[in-house]
Amino acid sequence: MTVISALPPLAMQAGANRVVQGVKIEHVCGDPSLSPAADRALRRRLVERALQALQVAVDGPTLF
Amino acid sequence: MIRIGHYLNQFFAGIGGEEHANHPPEVRPGPIGPGRAIQALLKGDGQVVSTLVCGDNFFNEQGETARGAVRAWLRDTRPDLILAGPAFAAGRYGAACAEVCRLADEAGVPAVTGLHPENPGLLSYKRAYVVPTGNSAAGMAPALAAMLALARRRVGGTPPGPAEAEGYFPRGIRRPGLRQAVGADRAAAMLVAKLRGQPFRTEIPVESYDAVPPAPPVAAMDRARLGIVTTGGVVPKGNPDHIRRCSETRWQHYALAGLDALSPDAFECVHGGFFNLPACENPNLVLPLDILRTLEREGAFAKLLDSYCATCGNDQRLADCQRNGAEIARWLREQQANAALLVAT
Repeated sequence: MTVISALPPLAMQAGANRVVQGVKIEHVCGDPSLSPAADRALRRRLVERALQALQVAVDGPTLF
Repeated sequence: MIRIGHYLNQFFAGIGGEEHANHPPEVRPGPIGPGRAIQALLKGDGQVVSTLVCGDNFFNEQGETARGAVRAWLRDTRPDLILAGPAFAAGRYGAACAEVCRLADEAGVPAVTGLHPENPGLLSYKRAYVVPTGNSAAGMAPALAAMLALARRRVGGTPPGPAEAEGYFPRGIRRPGLRQAVGADRAAAMLVAKLRGQPFRTEIPVESYDAVPPAPPVAAMDRARLGIVTTGGVVPKGNPDHIRRCSETRWQHYALAGLDALSPDAFECVHGGFFNLPACENPNLVLPLDILRTLEREGAFAKLLDSYCATCGNDQRLADCQRNGAEIARWLREQQANAALLVAT
């Protein structure tokens, strides 16, 4: 499992082993202030990074 | 005269070690083993009238029978007080002692046990009165003295004061009371002590987390079934299960089949711990279904599960988080997920 979180230090402190930095607490997976296309592109980068993290071996909480 | 019932495992009753851990419950009159030391501490104002002995494996594996034996013992012996153990760091024995305390409470009989701080029995019945002990029987004498001191408070006279004052483990119960100084002064004093590098004691201890071993990497993402989970309170519009904005104890799963994105007409965000209007206007900002569908079509992974899991992580108790996490993990496995994403707000 990969955790996408706006607060990676908290996620890692709680023991999440694969963590991706999200945008903000209110909109972890995107940014409503961007144009719809730019928002989608940002969201896509985040989800792709999270999928990539799933394919990497880790030995403890790791930020991707 | 305090009539005391004492609970012991097979080892401390002198029956034997692990080879006798299946010993069935057995009532013996009077004190045995550590019970004799209790008797010596009593100075004539009490008596260990009966000892219940049970093997540690028996108690933990045949719980129903063991509990029945404890209830019958309490009924037949009618003690004023139950002392269990002490069990030190022995896990199965500790769990049995905690359970004996719970059954005694149920029967209205005050009970006290003694456990090492890391004994898992401490977690099995939080309401038990437990004194801290060393990790082995070398600490028997002080453990029995502490158990008896607390027990005397429980059977008569003034009831025990707060855990920190009386020296037993906190039972998770708060009572109103007066402190020497108001909260602001205490907090400031704590901060000053911390900045000076001096010892201080928090009034709100932070619960500690389990270390979870990392899952191995996903070998073939293009063949993986992917689950998506969020603590961000994204639910179907109208919140059919009344997921709470804060202090939620449950989780739910909701259908995604046939949807290409989360529409604000069909989903909303009920999380009460942040400004949730952006997530209500576009729930994909929390649960990125639009992008997941695109990537699914492109073959980045094989299939998104037909439902997602949601709870509201706002002020969720650690015990509920752990249970929800375990339940969601089990559900994902049942859905044959190979991998999952969790969006935490």
